[in-house]
Amino acid sequence: MPTRKDPSAPQMGPMWNWRITAISAVVLFAVAVLGVSLGPIHLNFLKVIKTLFGFPHGLQGQERVLLLDLRLPRVLLAALVGAALSTSGAVYQTVFRNPLADPYLLGAASGAGLGATLAITSSGGNVYGLLPIFSFVGGVLAVLTTFFISGRFFAEPNSLLLSGIAVGSFGTAIQTYLQQRHSSALRPVYSWILGELTIANWQVVRWSCLYIVSAILILITVSKQLDGLLLSDEESFSLGINPNKLRIIAVAAATLATATAVAASGLIGFVGIVVPHLVRGITHRVTNRSLATMAFAGAAFLVLADLGARTLLSPAELPIGVITAFVGAPFFLFVLRKKRVGS
Amino acid sequence: MLKRRVLSLAGAIPVFLLATSISYPAFSATFSQGEPFPVTLQSGGVVTVIPQAPKRIISLSPTATEILFAENAGSQVIAVDSLSNYPTSAPITKLSAFSPNVEAIAAKRPDLVILSADATNSVSIQKALRLLKIAVLVEKAPTQISGAYSEFITIGKATNHVSDAKLLVSHVKNSINSIIAKSRKNRSITFFHELDNTLYSATSNTFIGHVYSSLGLKNIADKAQGADASGYPQLSQEYLVTANPQIIFLSDAQYGENLQTVSTRPGWAQISAVMNSNVVLFPADITSRWGPRLIDFYQSISDAMAKVA
Repeated sequence: MPTRKDPSAPQMGPMWNWRITAISAVVLFAVAVLGVSLGPIHLNFLKVIKTLFGFPHGLQGQERVLLLDLRLPRVLLAALVGAALSTSGAVYQTVFRNPLADPYLLGAASGAGLGATLAITSSGGNVYGLLPIFSFVGGVLAVLTTFFISGRFFAEPNSLLLSGIAVGSFGTAIQTYLQQRHSSALRPVYSWILGELTIANWQVVRWSCLYIVSAILILITVSKQLDGLLLSDEESFSLGINPNKLRIIAVAAATLATATAVAASGLIGFVGIVVPHLVRGITHRVTNRSLATMAFAGAAFLVLADLGARTLLSPAELPIGVITAFVGAPFFLFVLRKKRVGS
Repeated sequence: MLKRRVLSLAGAIPVFLLATSISYPAFSATFSQGEPFPVTLQSGGVVTVIPQAPKRIISLSPTATEILFAENAGSQVIAVDSLSNYPTSAPITKLSAFSPNVEAIAAKRPDLVILSADATNSVSIQKALRLLKIAVLVEKAPTQISGAYSEFITIGKATNHVSDAKLLVSHVKNSINSIIAKSRKNRSITFFHELDNTLYSATSNTFIGHVYSSLGLKNIADKAQGADASGYPQLSQEYLVTANPQIIFLSDAQYGENLQTVSTRPGWAQISAVMNSNVVLFPADITSRWGPRLIDFYQSISDAMAKVA
C-alpha cells in the first residue's frame, strides 16, 4: 500500500474515472432491490418492483407494510451506515497515513458504547428512545476529548492516534464497571456492541440520512485536497493546502458520520477497513476522489451483510457485526500481510 | 363440554380441575370466559388491544408457554420459541425468544404474539409487529410473586381463559401457602443460591430472593446488595467460604454442577452445606420461570430445609 506517491506520476493513469463510480452505484441499486425482495417471508418479485416504483397492481395489505415499513427502511439504514463507515474509514486512513486506521480509532466507538450503556442502565423503563442520543453524544465527546488531550492537535497525527487509544480504553473501563454494577444491562449492551439494524424505521432513517449525507458531501467536497495529505506537510503547503485545517475538517465530518452510524446501529466492525481497501485494490487507485465510490461500495457491502443477518439463521436474527467481522477479520490479516511483503 | 363447564364452576377442587381440564384442550377455544372481545390489556408497560379470541398464538417466552398450557389455551398455540421445552406437547420451533425475527414470526400468520420484555430490541420488535396488525403481549419478569399471578390473569384474559387463569392462580397460591405454612420458619438457616459457577447470586430484592425469604431463609448474598442494582451480584470465593452457608442451591445443575463438582472448588470442602451434603440440584429451568411450576421451586427449598432442621 503506497502511502506517498506523486499523484501526477504518469503510471497512475487518469486520476479518477466516472465509470467506476457509476458501476458502483448500479451495484448498490441492484443489491438494494435484492435486499428488499428477499427475507423469511417470500414476496412476489414483480409485485415488489411495482410497489417500489409506484406502478399499479403492487403488493397489498400486510405484504405492502412488510416491504415499505419494515424491509425498505432497514435496507436504507444499512446503506447509510455502510456508506458512513466506509467513507470515514477511507478518510481516517488518509489523515493518519495509516492503512489500518478505522472510524472508531479516536474513541468514537468506546464513547458511544459508554453512552449506550448509560442509557440502558440509567433507568429500568423504556430507555431505547434515549439510546441513539446518548451514544451519539458519547461518541462525539470521546473524539473531542482525544483532540483536547493530544494538545498539539494535528501537527503530529500519531500523538492524536495514541490519545485516541487512551481515551478509548478509559471509556471501555467505565463501561465495563457500569455493566458489572447493572447485570441486567449485560445482554442489551452486548447485542448493541455487535451491531444491529433491527431498530430501523423511517424516523431513524430520516435523521441518520440528514447527518450522514451532509458529512459525506463535505468529505467529497474536500476530497481533492485530501490527496495532498498523503504527502508530507511541507509538500502539502507547497500545493496550497493547509494540512492542519484540512485534517480538522476531515476528521470532524468523518466523526459526525461515524457517530450517527453508531447511534443508529451499534458497533458494526471492519466495514471502515475492508471496503476502502477493497475499492482501492479493485481500482488500483489510492486517491480520495474515489470517495463517492467508497460510499456506494460500503452501502452495498452492508446491505448484503444485513441480508445475511436476516436470513442465515432465520428464524432468528444474526447480529450484523458477526458477519462483517467474519468477512473482515481474514481480510484485515490479508492487508497486513500484503503490507509487510510490500515494505 | 357440559362436563367441563360444570367443572369450571367447581373451583374448590383446583388440583383436580387442572388435571382434568388439560385432557380436554380441544374445547378450550370454543367457548367464552369472562369479558367479551375486544379486550384491552396492559402488559409490560404496553397497552394492547386484542380484537377477538386468538386462535393462532405464538409464545416467545418459555414462562408464557407454561402458563398458556396450564390455562388450557394450548390448542390455540401454533408455535413456541426454541427454549419453550415445557410442557413437551408445546409446538416447539426454531423461533428465537432472545433475538426475534419479525418476518419469521409474521410468516406463521399469528393473531397474538407473546414477547419477552428481555428480548433484544423488544420495543422495536413490538412496534414492527403492530405495523403488521399483529397483537402483542409483552411479558416482563416480575419482581414479586404477585406480579407472576397478574401475568397469569393477563394471559387468561388475552386468550379467553379468564376462569382457567383464576383457577390457576388459586391453585398455585394455595399450594405455595401450604408449603410455607408447613416449613419451619427457622430464621437462622443460611443459604447460597448459585446462578453460575462464577458465583453470581441473587439477593432478597429479586424474585428468586423473595421465594427464599418467604420461607424464612437467610440469604448470604444480601451483604453484597450494593454491588449490583439489579440484585444479581457476583460474590467472591473468599466471602462465600467465610459466610459458610448451610444450604447451597444450584440453579446451574442443568449445566453440570453438583455436590461433587462444588466440593472440589478451593476451600469449599469446609463449607457446612458441602460437609453435610445439603446441596440442592434444581430441575432444569425451575428457578428461571415464573409459571405454574413455581410450586416445585418452593417444594425443593422446603425439602432441603427439612433436611437441615
